Amino acid sequence: MRILTCLKQVPERDSRYKLSPDGSRVLEEDLVFETNESDLHALEEALRLKEKFGGEVAALSLGPDRVSKVLRNALAMGADRAIHLKGAEFERGDAWSTARAIAAATATEDFDLVLTGVQSEDMAFAQTGAVLSQFLAWPCATIVLEIAFEADTRKVQVKRELESNVFERVELPLPAVLTIQSGSHPIRYATLRGIMQAKKKEYRVVTAADLGLSAGTVGEMAAKVKHHRLLAPERKKQTVMIEGGAEEAARTLMDKLVNEIGVL
Amino acid sequence: MAGRIVVLGEHRDGRLKKISWEAVGLGRRLSAELGKDLRLALVGSEITDLAQEVSRRSGLEVVVLANDHCRRYTPEAWCEVLAEFARRDNPYLFLLGHTYQTMDFAPKLATLLDRGLIPNCVDCRCTGGQLLWVRQVFNGKLNLEVSPKGEPPYLVSLQQGAFPASEEDLSVSPRVEHRQVGMAEGVLRRKLLEVMEAVQTRVDLSQAEIIVAGGRGLGSKEKFQLILDLASALGAGVAASRPVTDGGWLPKEHQIGSSGQTVTPRLYIACGISGAIQHLVGMSNSGCIVAINKDPYAPIFQVADYGIVGDVFEVVPKLIEIAREMRP
Repeated sequence: MRILTCLKQVPERDSRYKLSPDGSRVLEEDLVFETNESDLHALEEALRLKEKFGGEVAALSLGPDRVSKVLRNALAMGADRAIHLKGAEFERGDAWSTARAIAAATATEDFDLVLTGVQSEDMAFAQTGAVLSQFLAWPCATIVLEIAFEADTRKVQVKRELESNVFERVELPLPAVLTIQSGSHPIRYATLRGIMQAKKKEYRVVTAADLGLSAGTVGEMAAKVKHHRLLAPERKKQTVMIEGGAEEAARTLMDKLVNEIGVL
Repeated sequence: MAGRIVVLGEHRDGRLKKISWEAVGLGRRLSAELGKDLRLALVGSEITDLAQEVSRRSGLEVVVLANDHCRRYTPEAWCEVLAEFARRDNPYLFLLGHTYQTMDFAPKLATLLDRGLIPNCVDCRCTGGQLLWVRQVFNGKLNLEVSPKGEPPYLVSLQQGAFPASEEDLSVSPRVEHRQVGMAEGVLRRKLLEVMEAVQTRVDLSQAEIIVAGGRGLGSKEKFQLILDLASALGAGVAASRPVTDGGWLPKEHQIGSSGQTVTPRLYIACGISGAIQHLVGMSNSGCIVAINKDPYAPIFQVADYGIVGDVFEVVPKLIEIAREMRP
């Protein structure tokens, strides 16, 4: 089975954000980036399928130079090759323009399955996989927990999460796009051996020109959604922040809960 | 009047979901502000009773888009029926709830219509006839204002609980338009095999007066014991966010949020929980919320009444100590 996994690089979860003066973007200088967690779950499932059924796993990411960290890590975890969609043309897009670039990059390939995460932690579109499936005209299942592959019929059966403890099992013919939800398997770590092997693996940089995409057909220009400005969320409540060392803070809190609020 | 506002209602077991009533609430507001008609559309098969009831209650005209293949949800059937509806009626705006079902089909529908879907909005402002939508980004630490480019129809999904639901029962005589919609051959490739309800949960946190919840910040199953100890000292129920149950530190039935339980205890103590929206929707209506987290910018503090920025491994043991003094 030939599997493509799409991985996005996002700022670390505990990041503190500073905005550009016009509020249009976050300043990257002080940020540390990591791989979007649900995309790592997608990679984990792809590697498990390959271990079971053979084939290859390619890892794809879109972004500037720093994105190579995501791809090197994917190679070290066990992916066979990396595709880096690089260049200013691709950047600052929305789910539509990003999916469009990925669709163009897969046109000359022969994948059976594209796996990606349910959503990114930064922009949270929660739709790049589904949009991609529409561009490719492949069936799609989102929020997938388990994948079973039937080699004879070339179909996958997947377990999807619905809300409130309800699940469904659906069947899709290949090729297909699946978006992976956390929860079935822990994400493996890259081993030292994996890191050494990664250095010898294929790492292909692909530009918009390589794909025959003119500026304006991908990235920010092609996006269907216009981004205006970022701003701090409105607080829903007036939060009382309790200061002091651990013991002092704990005593103050308990005192408030017992005497002021009466909830204890 | 060019183009209506259409709420795409989501239903299950013959009932319209609460989030769809929230979309109706916003729809009414925008209908007044923009001077556009509001309608509600339902996709399904044999859902006339539901459509009558929704129309009777809301006073809205309800369009039923029916096809035998829409007895059970599949994304391809939904997209086919709704794309046909969009082309024929050319609405100005589709309002949907940001649910797992919407996440599954709406991006495909938008792409089919050569549009973008603006997902998971928490606010909407109308300036000069243009709509500006507010979304949460960067793990809920920032908001982003966006607007759709190009021509209508626009597609927008709303975060659960972000807009007040339209709850008034108008009891008017229902107006339902029934449309049988065709389905091209070969469109339906994804097949539904079965729907599985998780085993009846043995852990019902909905009645708990006090809940102590732990998250990713606890780090491991062993260290999660701290949460169990605090819960036991306070006589509280034990809950968790998704990373905890994913990691097997606690059984799945303790999970709070969009794929777990929704709770409203008098007191909710969130320890080492950053406050992803998927968690917040399950607990933000609690009476009093306490958050303990080392990241001062964690979104959990946006909904907390009391916050302690600190290490759970230092603060929680002190809370246990004090609670044990109080309840020997």
